[in-house]
Amino acid sequence: MSRIILEARDVRYRYPGGVDAIRGMSFHVRQGEKVALVGPNGAGKSTLLLMFNGMLRPDSGTLLFDNEPLRYDAASLRELRRRVGFVFQNPDRQIIAPTVYQDVAFGPVNLGYPEEKVRTVVGDALRNVGLEGFERRPPHRLSAGEKKRVAIAGVLAMDPDLLVLDEPTSSLDPAGSEDTMELMEELHQAGKTIILSTHDVELAYPWADRAILLRQGEILQEDVPEVAFGDPDLVRRARLSVPVLLELYQELARRGLPLPGKRPKTSLDMIHLIEQAFSRGGRTGPCGTIHVCDVDRTGPDALARWLSSRDGIWIGAMGTRAKQRAAEGKIILDFTYGVIDKCLLRALGGESSLILTAGGMVQRVEMRVRAFAGEWGTAILVEEVKEA
Amino acid sequence: MDYGFLENVAQENGLIGVSPYVKLAVGLGALLLVLLSPTWVVPLLIALSLGIAVLLLARIDPRLYAHLLAAPLLFAVLSVAAVVLVTGGGQVFWAWQPVPGFALSLTTDSLARGLLVFSRVLGGMSALFFIALTTPMTDLFVVMQRCRVPMSLLNLTMFVYRSIFILSDQVAQVHAAQRMRLAYSAPREAVTSFGNLCGASFIASWECGEDLIRAMDARCYDGRFAMLEESAPVRARHLAVAAAYLMVVSALLAATVYRASGGGWA
Repeated sequence: MSRIILEARDVRYRYPGGVDAIRGMSFHVRQGEKVALVGPNGAGKSTLLLMFNGMLRPDSGTLLFDNEPLRYDAASLRELRRRVGFVFQNPDRQIIAPTVYQDVAFGPVNLGYPEEKVRTVVGDALRNVGLEGFERRPPHRLSAGEKKRVAIAGVLAMDPDLLVLDEPTSSLDPAGSEDTMELMEELHQAGKTIILSTHDVELAYPWADRAILLRQGEILQEDVPEVAFGDPDLVRRARLSVPVLLELYQELARRGLPLPGKRPKTSLDMIHLIEQAFSRGGRTGPCGTIHVCDVDRTGPDALARWLSSRDGIWIGAMGTRAKQRAAEGKIILDFTYGVIDKCLLRALGGESSLILTAGGMVQRVEMRVRAFAGEWGTAILVEEVKEA
Repeated sequence: MDYGFLENVAQENGLIGVSPYVKLAVGLGALLLVLLSPTWVVPLLIALSLGIAVLLLARIDPRLYAHLLAAPLLFAVLSVAAVVLVTGGGQVFWAWQPVPGFALSLTTDSLARGLLVFSRVLGGMSALFFIALTTPMTDLFVVMQRCRVPMSLLNLTMFVYRSIFILSDQVAQVHAAQRMRLAYSAPREAVTSFGNLCGASFIASWECGEDLIRAMDARCYDGRFAMLEESAPVRARHLAVAAAYLMVVSALLAATVYRASGGGWA
């Protein structure tokens, strides 16, 4: 198990008005974990998050970051805030500067980075969130999703170990939410520990490694999402709803149609469970192949040639760079989020697909497919597209 | 949201690739020539040429440009009318004395003066609109920094710039919410509604300020602010066109001064 990066020991906080916001919470977050704080409005989610980077100081109890108790002198707080990146719910409240470049550079400049390094980290951060070329744009001319990305880039530019996001998808349209969650996934793959607050259970359920249910300043339940969201009584008390997939699974079991294996987290899991339970012996034909293409290593012409001989193949893109390249090459994408799962679904149905991606994500596709195949006892091939 | 800020138009104008220094030189140079000119010829020429530049090169919507010029022009027409009627001198075309000691007249001198004032207003407005429509504030910040504007003042300017759009958004929302519930329907009620709007905006801006401080704290603010690099380098071609334009207009100005002084240098 990885080391503990953040720990709360019986933390309590009361607002000056006299409202008890946090009434004794203890939990910990390990390095590389994805944790969702889930609860209704007023449960204390935002208050708790604001303690992680020292914006609020608990009245009693201790917070530890990297096994050190938080210290509240100016120098320690600066270092803490560099390592704990906080993304506010409303990006308009976080974006300070008149242009995208200046805003993303805000943290690095104040950390005293030399000019050359500022330019590099800002460039990297903007590339990570897919906002290359937006440097000179004023924030008020951006869409809500783009503003959210600017806010995230501004935090990424300081290279934090822990990312804290308050309701990251609350003001976004569905496509914007999916993009943001996909970005979270990329950042997680890049080694960031992520804590987010939300009351969107459908969003938290497949994403989180662990869910912490809050109610009225207390922890109601803390477990893997399948368990945390699986207890209707707890979920009702937390003023949430059971994720649709989990509800479906439970209702099927109640009707005497128990599905084998673990509880499904995604449609892919569900489909596979159903197929296993009812087709007795599984599919007859072979599974489809999942092709992976690293857009940084395969030129647009080679990709076009490759595609020309495979008409009607399903195409998905993972990551902002791959999506940009697809747009440039006028490649119509069938899947833009949950891409691996959707391609696995197609593969189970005997159809082949292509995933466009970049960097270390190629290995990730292979790992995910192998893990899936191992878990469910199927054989699905992953092939990397190589220049002919 | 877009509330028709000139800034938003400037952000997407066709001359965004031209260095702000060149554009400022043309705009301010033209303004100076307008003020120096003793006749109406040069100001009108500047108004015409910069108008063409704004419409064709910067590709500003002609309707927007006409709309922008309409307000100052209306003001100019009214004040020029007063100037023409009240002042005198030269050959009199028409005169009327409604009360003793006060006369209205149309004379050659008053018409010439009116024409000069009008052409100066038009030329000056064209020069200012040329700058406003082709050079966004974000570019001017860079120029201000190069011109050694004190950093604290510049930082404040940038905060204000950013806040204007956030606050205008909030004011517009409150105003829309008021109108949906039939505010501003009667004069007395309108005063109350306007007061409420001001109050709500004040509280909103106060909260906005507190949030700004919080955001700066969370992002390790230490008194420093990143600056953009120059949007576009000064290109020889742009510089040559700008210099040629200013020189031609200056030469014309010299010629008109020469003629106005009766063929000899004044």
